[in-house]
Amino acid sequence: MLSVTPNTAGVVTLPKGLVGAGFAPVADESRAINGTVGDITAVDPRMTARNVNVYYGDKLAINDVSLDIGKNEVIAMIGPSGCGKSTFLRCLNRMNDTIDICRVEGEIKLDEQNIYDSSLDVVPLRAQVGMVFQKPNPFPKSIYDNVAYGPRIHGLTSSKSELDDIVEESLLKAGLWDEVKDRLAETGTGLSGGQQQRLCIARTIAVAPEVILMDEPCSALDPIATARVEELIDELREQFTIAIVTHSMQQAARVSQRTAYFHLGQLVEVGKTDDIFTNPRHGLTEDYITGRFG
Amino acid sequence: MNKMTDGHIVSSYNKDLNHLHQLVIEIKDLACKQILEAAQSLIEEDVETANKVILGDRAIDELDIKADEEIIRLIAKRQPVARDLREIMTIAKVVSDLERIGDQARRLAHLTIRFYDGDANPPNHHLLDDLIKMTGFVNLMVEDAVSAFDELDLTMALDVIRRDGAVSDDFRSALRRLSTYIMEDSRSVGHMVDVVLGLRALERIGGHAKNISRHVVFLVKGKDVRHETLEQVEAEIASRH
Repeated sequence: MLSVTPNTAGVVTLPKGLVGAGFAPVADESRAINGTVGDITAVDPRMTARNVNVYYGDKLAINDVSLDIGKNEVIAMIGPSGCGKSTFLRCLNRMNDTIDICRVEGEIKLDEQNIYDSSLDVVPLRAQVGMVFQKPNPFPKSIYDNVAYGPRIHGLTSSKSELDDIVEESLLKAGLWDEVKDRLAETGTGLSGGQQQRLCIARTIAVAPEVILMDEPCSALDPIATARVEELIDELREQFTIAIVTHSMQQAARVSQRTAYFHLGQLVEVGKTDDIFTNPRHGLTEDYITGRFG
Repeated sequence: MNKMTDGHIVSSYNKDLNHLHQLVIEIKDLACKQILEAAQSLIEEDVETANKVILGDRAIDELDIKADEEIIRLIAKRQPVARDLREIMTIAKVVSDLERIGDQARRLAHLTIRFYDGDANPPNHHLLDDLIKMTGFVNLMVEDAVSAFDELDLTMALDVIRRDGAVSDDFRSALRRLSTYIMEDSRSVGHMVDVVLGLRALERIGGHAKNISRHVVFLVKGKDVRHETLEQVEAEIASRH
């Protein structure tokens, strides 16, 4: 048998200290969280959160989170249950105000306006920063009235025809118009789950928000309805800024341009979605998205 | 099992990835055996072994297809991301390089048949010196490249990448030596051409070993260095991220 003798001319001196040290900085690095990894800023921020702490009573639920939400981007917030991603989302239109024991510290601005300014009226704020929830929650009213409700109470229209236009335009944008145009008077709760969720999105965009917050908007939907909503999210991005909380990593990868990973109330890592799902920089992010989080 | 393949909450995912990982080792073992047996057939003028090598390439081809099938199934089932995705993409590329290494070993075995089968006119054994020497060298490069993959050893990967430069130098030196033979005896031109093709096959095996090592850098660091210079690869390996 031939003996294998390497040509000594090819043997080279290796730099010292590389053995075993170069492997997977992500996997071998400490899982300690020392601030957020990645760029928290957006090129054209619509909302900026700085040093946000949220307490439920004495419990610190969000710990010093700073993050920009850029104009016309979809940012996905992912993380295990209880990591604070929904709490942070709800801070962005002061939905946490409805919880007595909840206290928010830090600064959150929408277009340079501090939304926690004591003089700020939360009703118009929630029109500017709309929200879509996990479970479709249409009002027990007609499809038309579900969409018309917001423009009516915010006084956005002066005539019936104007309102008709807003309803049609909103349903068109929500990709629901063709399915419901002949039955606008029927009750919204009679629609399928996916249609109900798109109706809720139509209701949200009817008041011309700047930002749309979505808290697990597809978790109650089947895969086809989910695909429709995801397609809708992509279309809506041209006009709106969208922050979405999702438990589905694949959904975050599909719909968002940036992804933020939360862990135990802290923002561990934020970056371009393409980077987060191919080469995350923090070990905790990697563990979570690859299904190694114990 | 290594750090890339274990640790999933779903243990069957570990099993799938480990199986794929082991398949790479199996294909490497087979490819290296083919290289050595092809060279052995040349040294010992053993046509039977050469035919065995040629037929043996089919086994590598079959494992190549099997690996691809498992990769497709795993992607469809698991939707891998991050290091799992890099592991799977790397395996696909490493397997492809190993399959081509098998093809080059087959080319080497064909030389034995050309030189020694039936009424063939055998060459002067001195003409084969460089072939034999390079065989051992590139075979070790393949072993080390796959070992770097198996152990996620960037130092080893870098070493293999550097050794590819030595293979190219050896290839050029061998060509110069062969040229002098031709000048001394132009009747051996036919053998020279065959030997050059054999050297070229070995040089390509070294190139594939280098490719595998570059894939290892991608696997570990997340940076594609296939078209980077040696200095850039060194800098990437030394960098923290």
